Amino acid sequence: MNIVETKDVNFYYGDFHALKGVSLDVVKNSVTAFIGPSGCGKSTFLRLLNRMNDLIPDMKLTGKCLINGKDIYDKRVDVDELRKKVGMVFQKPNPFPKTIFENIAYGLRVNGIKDKEFIRNRVEESLKGAALWEEVKDKLSRSAYDLSGGQQQRLCIARALAVKPDILLMDEPASALDPISTSKIEELIFTLKAEYTIVIVTHNMQQAARVSDSTGFFMLGELIEFSETRKMFLNPSKEQTQNYITGRFG
Amino acid sequence: MSKKLSQQIAFWIFRILGVFVVGILLWILGFIIYNGIGVISFEFIFDAPRDGMLKGGIFPAIVGTFCLIVGSMIVAFPLGVMSAIYTNEYVRDGKISKFIRMMTNNLGSIPSIIFGLFGMALFVNTMSWGDSILAGSFTLGLLALPLVIRTTEEALRTVPDSLRVGSYALGASKLQTIRYVTLPAAFPNIVTGLILSVGRVSGETAPILFTVAAYFLPKLPSSVFDQVMALPYHLYVISTSGTNLEAARPMAYGTALVLITLVLIINFSASLIRKHFSKKLGGH
Amino acid sequence: MDKAMRHFEKELIALKGEINGMWQLVLSQLQKCKQAYVTNNIELAREVIIREKSVNSFELDIDKGCENFIALFTPVAMDLRLIISMIKISTTLERIADFADGIARHVVDDDNVASETMKEDLKIEAMFDIVISMLSDSFVALETENSKLSGTILQKDDDVDTIYEEGKRYLADYILKDPEKGECILNTFLTLRKIERIGDHCCNIVEEIVFYIDAKVLKHSKGRRSEQKIENNEPEEPK
Repeated sequence: MNIVETKDVNFYYGDFHALKGVSLDVVKNSVTAFIGPSGCGKSTFLRLLNRMNDLIPDMKLTGKCLINGKDIYDKRVDVDELRKKVGMVFQKPNPFPKTIFENIAYGLRVNGIKDKEFIRNRVEESLKGAALWEEVKDKLSRSAYDLSGGQQQRLCIARALAVKPDILLMDEPASALDPISTSKIEELIFTLKAEYTIVIVTHNMQQAARVSDSTGFFMLGELIEFSETRKMFLNPSKEQTQNYITGRFG
Repeated sequence: MSKKLSQQIAFWIFRILGVFVVGILLWILGFIIYNGIGVISFEFIFDAPRDGMLKGGIFPAIVGTFCLIVGSMIVAFPLGVMSAIYTNEYVRDGKISKFIRMMTNNLGSIPSIIFGLFGMALFVNTMSWGDSILAGSFTLGLLALPLVIRTTEEALRTVPDSLRVGSYALGASKLQTIRYVTLPAAFPNIVTGLILSVGRVSGETAPILFTVAAYFLPKLPSSVFDQVMALPYHLYVISTSGTNLEAARPMAYGTALVLITLVLIINFSASLIRKHFSKKLGGH
Repeated sequence: MDKAMRHFEKELIALKGEINGMWQLVLSQLQKCKQAYVTNNIELAREVIIREKSVNSFELDIDKGCENFIALFTPVAMDLRLIISMIKISTTLERIADFADGIARHVVDDDNVASETMKEDLKIEAMFDIVISMLSDSFVALETENSKLSGTILQKDDDVDTIYEEGKRYLADYILKDPEKGECILNTFLTLRKIERIGDHCCNIVEEIVFYIDAKVLKHSKGRRSEQKIENNEPEEPK
């Protein structure tokens, strides 16, 4: 089942044509990775899916962008509701200057949940989901800044999980982390696939190969190729893809 | 000249200049303490002035200054913080924010005596509050406003955007983001800025000259419509317009010492508060 | 790292499982082939021929699995050696199965099969048994990651060669004595030759296992076998 469907999406920042007619579908409970050189539009496309690009002045979008069959750029769509359904993890860990517990509870609190018992259970559940519970269960009231970078990133993943999104967007989630933390995040992505649909942007091609089921290769705002990851890395159908993934690019 | 040598020389120039600045500060402080410490006593702090202000204390002026500080805080804080939130969080790069910022800067460079005149015209006469704590607080509050806006904006700007974006990504609204993420994160810096602007305002003479300050009023105020004495104005009065200026000199140094101490305490408490909060939040 | 197994280790184990399955299948093919040849059991021989197809599909699956594993996980060091040796082992296993298939076809198609006495004189059953044990021993070597076993396996190939040489001479004599039986002898010789080749391929597998475990290349090195034997003949340390 396709949870995300985009048809001929064009995106402009002012005069800059950042995405050129991108059409692709994302299958539910899969991991989809986007690769491509810097400025190729892969992050822009990712941010389209939870309307993070709305924050940019002068942006313009054409084409259709459906999630669960509904056009997310419809005027009646409540952006805050959309973002609850489409969580996001950023390149650099960005925990709030609050306790570990409050970081996770935040998403629940802003969505009007007050039941303390419920919040406590959800915090535990989310931390377990992000493979962080064992490391932090005795220091939930400590500041999130006391955690290491890798732990902070898993905290941010847990924070996103707490509001029970359908889709989890990850914008280069491991690029600021050391190799061990990176491999933990990758393992986590793999387990999260059972419950969530994950879309990840990465600079690291090997990472895309390791974690994803499908891979999209962007270049200069165009989706050059979108196929099963195995196929992409064994026998890409476009020459540009071949040149990029073999490092013969440019 | 070798690179090393020119570097050495530059360092020494900077070092000497630095020491020079600190030296001046210490000198002023030392001078006032030396001349003023003699008159400081329980009576000086907790008694009203007597005998043409040559005897007694400065208690009404301390109380008056305190009233004005609290009053101007009440006026300037909500206004300043909210307008800073507006310019920094809502219309960040728009024309409106540029305009507001420009006006704020202009407001900040207006001489304080003009605030005094304006306060007299608006609050004392037009609003007919008369010479009163209310009129003085509003005038001082307006004077502090640009400073409050500036420091609050600075504080909000130190909050990284990644936090705001992180909050939006969880489905939080803009207001919720400001209320639960941005303001708490900026809070220590905002408070510090506020306190520093209080310290700045508490030493001003000109704005209170026409709006609140009494020349001689041993009685303590009973409502916001009363006049009060204030430390800076009292200092001005006893050093310029007494029957016996020479005899009043020690009282003047004593008053200056109290005023300086007050400002230092305020500044010091600002840094304490910042330290306290940054420890609590895990510090950035 | 984590107690939980990493995703890519799981993939590797799945690949190993495929190889194990192929190995077992080829072993049973060899055993059935021996049975069919020795007892001239045409039914059994047909079964071997039919099952040859699943050996081929095993080879394709393993090749694809290894290709994917390299493309997706860029293995290094031990993992890389394992994958490389798996690719080669699967090819070699397929070859062995081909020989088994060839022998089975000979049983099914040719009228001129060797007589019981000739088979006994040629020690064909013993030869079969040796190559089968070589294949199953090398499987154990991979499973237990024990490269020490390689010496004995390589040694067994010498026995196979000896039997082969003796058989060749025997058949050469036989053809002089009874030229009428030329076709039968030729067929029998080809079978003999196939079994000998199976032994050689088992040695190739062992070399791959040694490459995987010890990162040593035995292939084409002079006196590799004797070296390996000497290593193995060293008295074991008392436990």
